[in-house]
Amino acid sequence: MSTPLSFHDERPSNRDEPYVYGTANRRDSGGGGGGSGAMKVALIVVALASLAGLVFSMTSSGDFIEHLDRQVHSIHCSLLPGAKAEVGESGCRTVMMSPYSSVMRTSMWGGIPIALLSVATFAYLIMRSLGMLLSKTTTRKETLFLIAATGLPSVMSIIFGSIAMNKLGAACTMCIGIYVSSAIASIAAIIAHVTAGPSDGSSSIGLWARWFGEGCVYVFTLVFFYVIFAPTSPKSAEGCGTLVQKEDPAGIFITMSKGAGVPGLAVLDPLCPACKGFDERIRTSGIDQRVALQTVLFPLDSTCNWMVKESLHPGACAVSEAMLCDKDGALEVLDWAFANQERLRTTAKTDEAAVRKEIETKFPKVKGCLGSAPIKNKVNKSLRFAVANALPLLTPQLFIGDRRVCDEDTDLGLEFTVEKMLAAQPAAAPSGRRR
Amino acid sequence: MSSEPIRNLVLFAACLLVPLGMVVSSERAAASRLAEAGDAASEVPIASAAEEGYCSVQLKQILRRVAGACGLLGEGGRGCKPADAKNVASMSGDDFNALFSPLASRAHIVQFDAEQTALDPKATAEVEQVWAEKGGASFFFVVSRASKDGGADYNTELSQQRAQAVMGHLQSKFPEDDDLKRVGLLWLGADYAQLGENFCEWKRSRTGEPCTAKDINRSSFMAWIDCAI
Repeated sequence: MSTPLSFHDERPSNRDEPYVYGTANRRDSGGGGGGSGAMKVALIVVALASLAGLVFSMTSSGDFIEHLDRQVHSIHCSLLPGAKAEVGESGCRTVMMSPYSSVMRTSMWGGIPIALLSVATFAYLIMRSLGMLLSKTTTRKETLFLIAATGLPSVMSIIFGSIAMNKLGAACTMCIGIYVSSAIASIAAIIAHVTAGPSDGSSSIGLWARWFGEGCVYVFTLVFFYVIFAPTSPKSAEGCGTLVQKEDPAGIFITMSKGAGVPGLAVLDPLCPACKGFDERIRTSGIDQRVALQTVLFPLDSTCNWMVKESLHPGACAVSEAMLCDKDGALEVLDWAFANQERLRTTAKTDEAAVRKEIETKFPKVKGCLGSAPIKNKVNKSLRFAVANALPLLTPQLFIGDRRVCDEDTDLGLEFTVEKMLAAQPAAAPSGRRR
Repeated sequence: MSSEPIRNLVLFAACLLVPLGMVVSSERAAASRLAEAGDAASEVPIASAAEEGYCSVQLKQILRRVAGACGLLGEGGRGCKPADAKNVASMSGDDFNALFSPLASRAHIVQFDAEQTALDPKATAEVEQVWAEKGGASFFFVVSRASKDGGADYNTELSQQRAQAVMGHLQSKFPEDDDLKRVGLLWLGADYAQLGENFCEWKRSRTGEPCTAKDINRSSFMAWIDCAI
């Protein structure tokens, strides 16, 4: 039967007879070699796909490692070789800053990037496929292992791809490169296996165990040295300042998570892109369940905020008013604002009244309150809270207890920093869930 | 000895050491930048009260004196004490009024009927509106006057009651608002710094109605002052 995976098979029909690749029709002449043309091509494709995967993984790891200096950097977000890194918000940044980009995030700043494990895997696959390519004898015993080895990044690609689509709603270009490389390597490994000769009948367990061990050496070596050389800073645990005024006599705090955990306060602008990412990190990392989190609004919109001469986030004052008008439904307003940030900012830039009208249509409860003197007064009180505490003119900001999380720790190092700060707080009962 | 084990070893080491070297060198570079950044001061501005260009030394001096007379500075209790306006300002009436001319967009004037101290509905709306326009101001200034009709003492008394009427309305409308502690009252009677008719063009509670020099001085001038005092 002919199938898309049918290949010209030059092997002898007697499968019991040991077969050495590249020796078909030449065995009598005593020739030796590394395998059939088809298998060699397949192994070359595995090696090249792994090399591509390594380049993507290294680029992604490089972007992650660059952020270990706690500063803002551009992120590579193009499949084109040599393309410039991007500074602004992108799917690549969203994915990198998400809790899914690394593991053990509470144990070390930023955790161990998944991309680093990917680097180890692809480096290993290059080594393994080149080894097979250069070997005089490559049988199905070896290529079966290659299928399993290339299957690992493919399975991980499926898992992380679905997380990116379903949980983050963002795609990372480098990750897509890794997914595609993994898939090509897997397919090529299968082809290599199909075109490889049968094994000599000896046990494969010993060989596979050794090769598996070598793979582990790759992973553990990279992880070990990564952990050893990862930069540390005492500031993460100490925080950057404290709240001077903690009380809320004006009723401007909005509850983000209910419960009796350690109190936390997030300073947010509902139309700030970084706040949207921050909110997602807070939720997906479970911090909102460990901290009794409240928020105080700090709209960077000159309509109500005298501290900004030009609106960074037009429309943020209107959204803030809506949140304070209906504090019970404030989180719904916030989610809606996060989901429509760009459109709201663009509309408000030329027609703030249109944004107010849209808010009133979407959330009828705020009608009559939005734009009134008392609610403007409340937004003003929120801004004055920032003045009273001499907060930096930026969002988001996070306080655990009364200690301020340093700005550089609110993205990749968030879980680690919060863990350290919570450990320094008096014991408290676990908090309830958000919403 | 076969060359294959050596070749495999070289391949194993090369494929491992190349990415390892890149990872470690990237981390060391990040550590170096982190150490350098640790000593650098943050350039992010800090949230602060407004301080506009019109906040001259003379204006701040007047505001401080009024704030002091009203018990807003120090530990004194709340409640303005009558003060000689000329001592508060130490300048001519025209110079005094000129200090407030940059406040045209911030100030509101509530007008009263002759010999009256009660706020009419338009006046209460005006008071509430100006109160909502706090911005980053540190001080809410109420300067009340009377027209030249009547005696000096009577007019002083009248302007004081007009200032108190504004304060009273704020206290009843916003009883919980701790910004009431930022309100400073000054009553000038009719002897000092009378408003000219040009102030009829400013935002006032009786916009559209006839406005003479007498009308505009039967008033309380209110403004949030964007000066840190």
